[in-house]
Amino acid sequence: MRARERRDRAFAVTALRVLSKDLKLHARDARFLATLALFSLSLVLILSVAFGPLFHDPAREAAATLWAALFFAGVLGLTRALDLESESGGGEALRLTGADPFSIYVGKTAANVLLMAVLFALVLPCSAVFFDVGNLAVLPAVAGVAALALIGYAAWGTLFAALARGVKARELLLSILLFPTLIPLWIGAVKLTRSLWAEGSIDAVRDWVKIMIVVDVLGVALAAWLYEAIQEAEE
Amino acid sequence: MDAMPAWLSRARAALWAAALILLAASLAAVVGRAPVEAQMGIVQKIVYIHVPSAIATLIAFGLTFAASIAYLATRGWIWDAVAASACELGMVFATIVLVSGPLWARSAWNTWWTWEPRLTTFLVMWILYGGYHVVRASVSGGSKRTISAVLGIVLFVNLPIVWKSVAWWRGSLHPRSVTMTGEMRQTLLLSMAAWLVFFAAAFLERLRLEALRNATASVDRGEAAR
Repeated sequence: MRARERRDRAFAVTALRVLSKDLKLHARDARFLATLALFSLSLVLILSVAFGPLFHDPAREAAATLWAALFFAGVLGLTRALDLESESGGGEALRLTGADPFSIYVGKTAANVLLMAVLFALVLPCSAVFFDVGNLAVLPAVAGVAALALIGYAAWGTLFAALARGVKARELLLSILLFPTLIPLWIGAVKLTRSLWAEGSIDAVRDWVKIMIVVDVLGVALAAWLYEAIQEAEE
Repeated sequence: MDAMPAWLSRARAALWAAALILLAASLAAVVGRAPVEAQMGIVQKIVYIHVPSAIATLIAFGLTFAASIAYLATRGWIWDAVAASACELGMVFATIVLVSGPLWARSAWNTWWTWEPRLTTFLVMWILYGGYHVVRASVSGGSKRTISAVLGIVLFVNLPIVWKSVAWWRGSLHPRSVTMTGEMRQTLLLSMAAWLVFFAAAFLERLRLEALRNATASVDRGEAAR
């Protein structure tokens, strides 16, 4: 029992240290974060101009814009995290520590979730204002939808980003692999957000919550199974 | 094991002969025996290529999945070769499905393309397995096989979605199952047999190529070591 406790503690410590390392790397790279934020806002602006000025279904168009902007910007965030790690030599050092690969994955995924959450906090009010939708009453529920979407995005994104690490033009490749895989997550996020903004509840589209949970769990489960093999391949 | 076993080489020749005979027979049956469908006319005969190709695609990607697991478990090069060969053939058959589908759809549904569940999930699968080949071609060195195997496993998630999409989502235009009788059914079964034997022959041919590549790489490594 004590050995198991020690293993669990080591797992949590490694995950937290990797999370802290990745967040520090992002914090030191403020110029990139600013560029990423501007890129997301540009996407929201372009799509709102394309849909407007008279919106057909503002809640639907705003939800689609919000999640499209986040998913596109997220790819840049995922690849940037890998670049920073390669530049600092952190990836190689992590492998040499002999830490549980899945705990490294969990730390990286958590860092990507937080990065995406910051972007979400920025893009959400812009989408709501540009399309004139939403209200504060449904904000906690929208945040719940975001948690489901961003955890799934980061879970699959971190897995695919590790796979594409050594590949040229990995931003393109990551998009090819990630976007089709995450279609159920994207549709679910759009439908749930739209329903909250237009109707104030998710009753009509509640099934999508289950689908999103399945996608999230599947991403983490596959990583738990395969991340060690990916790390071995990098050696 | 650096080359293909002798019995597989012999099986290759037999399979090619059987495939050519069966394909000729199925073509004759499609043209001469299967009746022309009353509503769609001659375009309906696409089904004799479309359905077997779709089944071959699912078998090929399923084989990629199984061989990828076997590679990660054993690290035997042959499993990587099986996965890569099957996946390549799967892409060819998936492309046939995606080309023949709209030809059918234009006549049956009055549109080349519609965003219905089976079509959409199949296109998603095609794009993802295209990504498998891009990754495989881009990664060099020892990690290529492991990365490909991981991807072969991860992408398999799509297969049950494509298979069950007709049942899971409303508004599907594809039937849940194909029901045919008489000469149409016989022709479809013959076409399936012909295309599946062709798939097996082409698969062994592609596997032989991987075996030759592997043998060449072994010789290169041996010379470099000297």
